[in-house]
Amino acid sequence: MSAVAKINLDLTAPEVVKKISQRSLVIGGVFAVIAVVLAFIHPDEFYRAYLLGFMCWLGVALGSMAILMIRHLTGGGWGTVIRRILGAAMRTLPLLFALFIPMFFGIHRLYIWAQPLGNIEDKHLREHLVQITQTYLTVNGFIIRAIFYFAVWNVLSFLLSKWSMQTDSPNAPDNSGRFKAVSGPGLILYGFTISFAAIDWIMSLDPSWISTIFGLIILIGEVLSAMCFAVVVERILFDYKPMSEMLKPDFVHDHGKWMLAFIMVWAYFNFSQWLIIWAGNLPAEITFYMRRLNGGWGYIGMILVLFHFVIPFAMLLSRPFKRNIRKLVWVAVLLLFMGYLDLLWIIEPTFSKTLAITVADVVVPIAIGGIWLWYFFRNLASLPLLPAYDTDAHEVLQPAHDAHA
Amino acid sequence: MDEQSKMTANAQETPVMEPGYTFGTVTEKISAIVLTRPASNGWFVGFGIAFLMTMMMLYAIGYLFLKGVGIWGVTIPIGWGFAIINFVWWIGIGHAGTLISAILLLLRQSWRNSINRFAEAMTLFAVACAGIFPGIHVGRPWLAYWLFPYPSTMGVWPQFRSPLMWDVFAVSTYATISALFWFIGLVPDMATLRDRATHPAARIIYGMLSLGWRGSARHWHRYETAYLLLAGLATPLVLSVHTVVSFDFAVGIVPGWHTTIFPPYFVAGAIYSGFAMVLMLAIPIRKIYNLEDFITELHLQNAAKVMLATGLIVAYGYGIEAFMGWYSGDRYDAFTLWNRLHGPYAIPYWSLLVCNIFIPQVLWIRKLRSNPVALFFVSLVILVGMWLERFIIVVVSLSRDFLTSSWGMYYPTRWDWMTYVGTIGMFLAAIFLFVRLLPMISIFEMRTLLPEAEVKE
Amino acid sequence: MKRERMYGIMAEFDSAQALIDAAKRTHEAGYNKIDAYSPFPIEGLAEEIGFHRDEVPLVVLIGGIVGGLTGYLMQYWMSAVDYPLNIGGKPYHSWPAFIVITFEMTILFAGISAVFGMLALNGLPMPYHPVFNVPRFSSASKDRFFLIVFSSDPKYDAAGTRSFLQGLQPRSISEVPS
Repeated sequence: MSAVAKINLDLTAPEVVKKISQRSLVIGGVFAVIAVVLAFIHPDEFYRAYLLGFMCWLGVALGSMAILMIRHLTGGGWGTVIRRILGAAMRTLPLLFALFIPMFFGIHRLYIWAQPLGNIEDKHLREHLVQITQTYLTVNGFIIRAIFYFAVWNVLSFLLSKWSMQTDSPNAPDNSGRFKAVSGPGLILYGFTISFAAIDWIMSLDPSWISTIFGLIILIGEVLSAMCFAVVVERILFDYKPMSEMLKPDFVHDHGKWMLAFIMVWAYFNFSQWLIIWAGNLPAEITFYMRRLNGGWGYIGMILVLFHFVIPFAMLLSRPFKRNIRKLVWVAVLLLFMGYLDLLWIIEPTFSKTLAITVADVVVPIAIGGIWLWYFFRNLASLPLLPAYDTDAHEVLQPAHDAHA
Repeated sequence: MDEQSKMTANAQETPVMEPGYTFGTVTEKISAIVLTRPASNGWFVGFGIAFLMTMMMLYAIGYLFLKGVGIWGVTIPIGWGFAIINFVWWIGIGHAGTLISAILLLLRQSWRNSINRFAEAMTLFAVACAGIFPGIHVGRPWLAYWLFPYPSTMGVWPQFRSPLMWDVFAVSTYATISALFWFIGLVPDMATLRDRATHPAARIIYGMLSLGWRGSARHWHRYETAYLLLAGLATPLVLSVHTVVSFDFAVGIVPGWHTTIFPPYFVAGAIYSGFAMVLMLAIPIRKIYNLEDFITELHLQNAAKVMLATGLIVAYGYGIEAFMGWYSGDRYDAFTLWNRLHGPYAIPYWSLLVCNIFIPQVLWIRKLRSNPVALFFVSLVILVGMWLERFIIVVVSLSRDFLTSSWGMYYPTRWDWMTYVGTIGMFLAAIFLFVRLLPMISIFEMRTLLPEAEVKE
Repeated sequence: MKRERMYGIMAEFDSAQALIDAAKRTHEAGYNKIDAYSPFPIEGLAEEIGFHRDEVPLVVLIGGIVGGLTGYLMQYWMSAVDYPLNIGGKPYHSWPAFIVITFEMTILFAGISAVFGMLALNGLPMPYHPVFNVPRFSSASKDRFFLIVFSSDPKYDAAGTRSFLQGLQPRSISEVPS
């Protein structure tokens, strides 16, 4: 493309990325040591926290992949400017698979269906589990399905990254057709696999409770976290070239709009689930909310309503706010933390009737996060921040004043 | 996303509008259909048939008022029959109009500009058809106003914990906002017709409808703000309407109704059937009125893609519901699944799977997406499938619930069919009138798509 | 009786670009009471003629808040205060059930405010307006662009304004009788 010849911007990631990568590793390492100690002292608490932390960071990686595929299908400068951030997060999926392996050792501690049925006091639950533990909720099934999910995700990630890397050099093939061909089915596969992963890993913590919208609730949380994470990273990079040149207020505005749309969908899914279960008031279903609204957990629920929806919603309605990356980033940080709290509120009350946030709940997510961020920033540094020879690159490389709203 | 829309438009082989038009020719071409083109014989035949169907509906409703709902097939245990099925079907069809006019406006998808007007008209007419059913289903339709909270001598108020009450508010809000949105969109074009019309009566009528619009820059500014805000309000509204419709079912504890996936799955199904109806109307209209330059292949392709995506969400809904029916181990949920697959209504259920899930997968083929004839028939199949879906949801769950002693079958009568087919006639009659009396494509929004409309500051 | 004064002087242009440039120059020349007419919305044109305060969003916000409060308080008062009725063992004040209608009422009031607020601020409906007296103005709804300087402008003087507008090279110039 002729536009390519005009590039006089160094697209390599700034030095600071490597520095953050190293620091993340140090933090991750220190916390990992504490986590290992906790694993020996309180193994039950450790595995719960491990599931929590793992789901948080997996969400960012998978959500990034989903947004990347949406970008490939719809196009748009907002997606081009962050595609390498999303790509770097997506390429952590092999690491996440490695990080999932400890989960296999915790199956018996986490999941009641993996324990001998004779140990279960609740008679109804025992009867219920007789059938399902022979067909679906088996340890082998759990492992095989997990391997399948990761295989699907890694294949998608591999293809998308490979074609993306080709467009870093001149005379690159036009891969937009390929991206489209994979992204359509890819999004379907993502929706399908994450729904079943959500059932396997989280919903089956209480095997007597079901909600058909649950997979979508986890899905939207992941996509939201990923968008917020991309906003945080773009803010960090905005202080340096080339992001300071590439990131225009219009793109930030679009990122803000996506965040607004995602929190609205998050609220919509959660309210729908709540209203239907509240109105039905069936013993098998309402227990989920009885646990989570009583014994102190209700405070977390209230915090989620306010800070996962009401306050960010009100702030994101403002147009100037959405266009300013220095302001928008704070809502993104808040929502990332709320994503963690949301998962905590879903996972932990299964094990404790009263509000109990353990040391592990804090330490383990930081440990996983440190290691994950190390790998993420290493990925980010390894490629230019924009595939310069991609057919869409000019959307981002044109001077800022051409791109008024 | 400004560049985005331009980029996607450039990237497509097919343009939003064929080149070579000017402000003047766009205006003339669209307004001529209303102002100068004489109504053809085909129009009179089509309108005549639709009108007769409407009369049939009025006859069926008249007889209903005389005799009561006993003339319908509804009975215990199936107290909800065609009326609710058709209500949900029509409301769902209406959703595509709002989606096209509001959501695509927010996403700055300029291809919407040539189809939003008649899609919105379609919404209004579909909501009108939908609104008939709950009204005539209440048993004593002359007391239907009891649905609204008004201070009565009885001193009681509506039951706000009931989703049927939410429906009253959701649908009446939806009808109001859709009508306002449509009318406001028409105002500048009414001014165009006022200035073009030669017949004095037409000038006066269009003049009144234009509210004295003169195109002042200040007016345009407020107009655009209001239009955009209205789009921002209509977007969550349209999602809420079918969500509330889904609550009508999901809030109850009947197996097959009480499931949390219903809200998003109903919304997706609504958009799915709505786009099918848009295509079924747009494909003949663009042919008859030579509007292929404005409603191009791009529009057909995009609508087909939306149908493909929403159809897959619907499929996800079926799938997750079936899986959970099995996974939950709940005997009633499991039985609902079995009953759908093998029970007395197995044929409608399998037909629904074929119509909604299997056949629409042909839309993956790019060639088919740009073939109007094929799209027309796929859309027809989807509309049938979505009607069957509502039939399955309403009838199958009610026919066999918890107690075998209360099982029963549902047999629609000819009055059911006459009312249903009659509303289709009413819908078509309204569409026939609309294309003759109002500009079916938004003229002023088409002007903004022309290259000469671009300004630099 | 003879007409005392004109309503204003109007210049006709061929393109949106010509109109926006003319509006800019007229405003810069010190004319404040001017207006521009176009067959479709032109981005930035309103700013060029000195229009900066658009109150529509505020009206909509107020409408929405009023609607939401009305919706919720209505349900609360009717179900929990005026005629409390136990239905299905649900509490009188069933807030989850009240959210839906509260939402719908918010949208309804906000939407109505948007439409009628916009019309009221624009002073519509107004079937008669002096600009319609100019025969060429019927093209303003088709393919022509007009700029008017109102006679109420302090800088207005019939001859001077006319020659100023002439300098903008319009397609035609018309006097608008009031």
